[in-house]
Amino acid sequence: MAPRTNGRGVQAEDTKICVVMVGLPARGKSYIAQKAQRYLTWLSLNARTFNVGSYRRTEAPQPSADFFDIGNTEGEKRRRAAAEAAVADMLGWFRQGGVIGILDATNSTKERRKWVMDVCTAEGIEVLFVESKCDDEKLIMGNIRDVKTTSPDYKGQDPEKAALDFRNRIKNYEKVYKSIDEDGDEDSYTYLKIMDTGSQVIINRIQDYLQSRVVYYLMNLHIRPRSVWLSRHGESLYNLYGRIGGDADLSERGHQYAKRLPDLVRESVGGDRPLTVWTSTLKRTISTARHLPDNYNQLQWKALDELDAGVCDGMTYQEIKDVYPDDFIARDEDKYNYRYRGGESYRDVVIRLEPIIMELERSEDILIVTHQAILRCIYAYFMKKDQTKSPWMNVPLHCLIKLTPRAYGTDEVRYQADIPAVSTWRGKGSTAKHEDPIPDSGVAH
Amino acid sequence: MDTLLTADIAANAPRYRRKSSTFIDGIHDVPEEADRAPAQLYSTMSGRLFHSGRIAIVMVGLPARGKTHISVSLARYLQWLGVKTRIFHLGDYRRATVEGGGDVPEDYFYPDASPASVMLRQKILKKCREDIYGWLNHENGQVAIYDAVNPTASGRRSLAKEFAKHDVQTLFLESYVNDDKLLLENARNVKIGSPDFANMDPDEAATLYLRRIETKIPSFETMNEKELNYIKMINAGNKFFYNNVSFNYLSHRIVFYLTNTHIKSRATFFVRAGAATEDASYKADAPLSKEGVKYAQVMADTLEKHREQEHAALKARSGPDVPKRQLTVWCSTRLRTLQTADAFKDRGYKVRQRSQMSQINPGVCERLSERAIRRLYPDEVELHELDPYHHRYPRAESYHDLAVRLEPIILELEREQNDLVIIAHESVLRVLYAYLMHCSTMDIPNLKFPRNEIIEIVPAAYQNEAKRVRIPGLDPSTVPGSPEDICIPVPDSGAGTPAPLPGGGLSSPAEPVANAEKPPERVVNKAAEAVRDRITDVD
Repeated sequence: MAPRTNGRGVQAEDTKICVVMVGLPARGKSYIAQKAQRYLTWLSLNARTFNVGSYRRTEAPQPSADFFDIGNTEGEKRRRAAAEAAVADMLGWFRQGGVIGILDATNSTKERRKWVMDVCTAEGIEVLFVESKCDDEKLIMGNIRDVKTTSPDYKGQDPEKAALDFRNRIKNYEKVYKSIDEDGDEDSYTYLKIMDTGSQVIINRIQDYLQSRVVYYLMNLHIRPRSVWLSRHGESLYNLYGRIGGDADLSERGHQYAKRLPDLVRESVGGDRPLTVWTSTLKRTISTARHLPDNYNQLQWKALDELDAGVCDGMTYQEIKDVYPDDFIARDEDKYNYRYRGGESYRDVVIRLEPIIMELERSEDILIVTHQAILRCIYAYFMKKDQTKSPWMNVPLHCLIKLTPRAYGTDEVRYQADIPAVSTWRGKGSTAKHEDPIPDSGVAH
Repeated sequence: MDTLLTADIAANAPRYRRKSSTFIDGIHDVPEEADRAPAQLYSTMSGRLFHSGRIAIVMVGLPARGKTHISVSLARYLQWLGVKTRIFHLGDYRRATVEGGGDVPEDYFYPDASPASVMLRQKILKKCREDIYGWLNHENGQVAIYDAVNPTASGRRSLAKEFAKHDVQTLFLESYVNDDKLLLENARNVKIGSPDFANMDPDEAATLYLRRIETKIPSFETMNEKELNYIKMINAGNKFFYNNVSFNYLSHRIVFYLTNTHIKSRATFFVRAGAATEDASYKADAPLSKEGVKYAQVMADTLEKHREQEHAALKARSGPDVPKRQLTVWCSTRLRTLQTADAFKDRGYKVRQRSQMSQINPGVCERLSERAIRRLYPDEVELHELDPYHHRYPRAESYHDLAVRLEPIILELEREQNDLVIIAHESVLRVLYAYLMHCSTMDIPNLKFPRNEIIEIVPAAYQNEAKRVRIPGLDPSTVPGSPEDICIPVPDSGAGTPAPLPGGGLSSPAEPVANAEKPPERVVNKAAEAVRDRITDVD
């Protein structure tokens, strides 16, 4: 999906879209914006978020609620200037080849929306408004608590005072807030309106395929708090022999990990709340998950099967180097794009994992027991890892990773099972069966 | 249970036609095996889709709102994705139950209908629903599309309850139109071919038709049931309203698809790129040869002439002020398709390059003869012959890989409102053709697109139509398969190939056409007849 040129230097894709967020504070706008950016980047589309709040912050780092009162002309002027600066930077970025710019601000008045619309249209950029509308008091308060602990606006402040100030700030926005097309005079706009976290949705005048794709993704998002747990299968016999692929059974230590996993999960969840478990269709992940409690719903996905190594399936890296020396070198040169003979590349895996990501976004708490390459791709999605680096990440065996998406990033906690296992990490050019990962190949940063 | 009656319905309903040529849209065929899933991404152990159980998609909407069109498009897409989908048109059941052409009593839809009409309605509904349960529960069906009017809120509520009792989840899909212009256009395009409206002004006939619907179904209520899962498609996809849908991936995928579809008429033309210079390997990406450049010009001339003729015919049918549709051209980023598209660019048409449309990657088979491939990769050849659609040679793409890669193109193809020329390699044309005409995976690798023909596909409500247009005066040596086509030995599909229909159906687009001077030929015209048969279709 990256903009490709052919021999004549013609761009294959020329659509540019500005995704304009709309909605009151604490409705999960920043969350949606950064998720969209992450998803698009993961799919190799050039996307960037322009957060008006961070422009405003350089002028007024920690403003009180009064700043956001429409009666406060000084505040209004500064906020207007911040929006203009953000939009100017965004337009500059589009001219440099940006494909999807996301304007993260409240854009809560018709006048502001019309202004953004006019500015973008003049530059040949399509506009897609995305509104998150929510009247559920409990959800809003949950969001406020989440935001106030993570937002730079309230860094180092008393949490109670911060929450109160934030409520007042929202009240000031409510005075002028107009939901998009509420009066029926914004029907000509392309928009997606998500009400009460998706129980009702309106989609209006989608203009092209890329827009429909973004809308499709956003419809799958929700802002209810949840976590995703990731684990590789327990150590397998192939891991011991240093062979890749295959459908081998677990080793003795792998079985120990499978027995330990329920406690590890319970410790991490902090109670007996059941999770839904997804495994691949291969023996080693199914065995790893088999001791989990009966009230855990288990599902097998073909799409979670390990990267298909084609003709190299079942070989050691030394054998691959001996039989297919050119392939061995080619893979290390561009591991993300290299496709095994008769098999898959990391890029292929990302494409086949897309439905998994969509389903994952829709779901609540999920535990995924899968394979090294698959886990690298899923991890890269949540942690915004670069394509050139993610295929080289060290994801150790016998370790449970808990990821919790938040408004401004994803939290990670790791739980070690303390059951020894071989290392399956491999450095560039190496053919060692097992080698110790170099320090910065870890996934924890 | 009255199985005889069910069998009778099966025999009479058009969708139970078991064999068809690849030149006839196979969307209503009953697949013999699960071989029609060109883009299946994964399957589940239970055979159920996405672990979400059995689903009924229940259509809602008055006649002339494009319900059948939506059902058929959706089935086409879901089946292409690998979902076992079948459409149950209530009209088929009515025709099989009611004698004399399926005309129902005048009060059939009235809230205060006579007991006889109510009983008739119940009988028809019962049969159709029993078939739906039977298919979902005993034949491994995943999605049943129930195509009927379903006009009242109370009826829809009890339907959802009844489906739930049979362990089937319900998703309602309403097509709601309040744009009068759109309504008239729909009615004009689909419904007024009936003898009732012969010699009538088209607009007048459409208005009359719409008024008839109103008197026949006076009690239609648009969906507003908060507790039901529904998608309301307003004015043919301008706006979507989506309520309380708790259906995982599938329902969103459906909305995603529907946001890209429309019910306006247009034509899609498939043409080959011209022949390349002798250095014709996949990696070389060679330019057009002299004959190739000439081909591009002759082909573009032929297409323009053909479109003129079709427009003239349309004007004769529908009035002098019918505008001519715009024409858009898509080609891949491969040099030969680009240079072929230049013939259209020179004529002032807009050309778009699509990187996804580049030809199938031949991998190690590049530049090898069939004999060499058999000698070098005997095991691969054996595997390939077992499953020519899914098998990939080393470093090559399979047709399945190609289909998955082409999914964005399929959605954009649905989105396109202009007439569209697709200039691509034969491998790409095969997969796109298979989507539009619903071919079996065994047939796809065998479809042939000789250079001296333009294939035109016209979407229609009930099934798509394919026609071929001859390109005259081409050097015969440039007509057959392109030199850089993969010489992969493709077995005869044998029993898998549908037998040609007697009297005109051709087994593949490659069948030679005897007379080169023939005017553009209409190979099959089943769809129009099928629709004509459905003029009074009001369930």
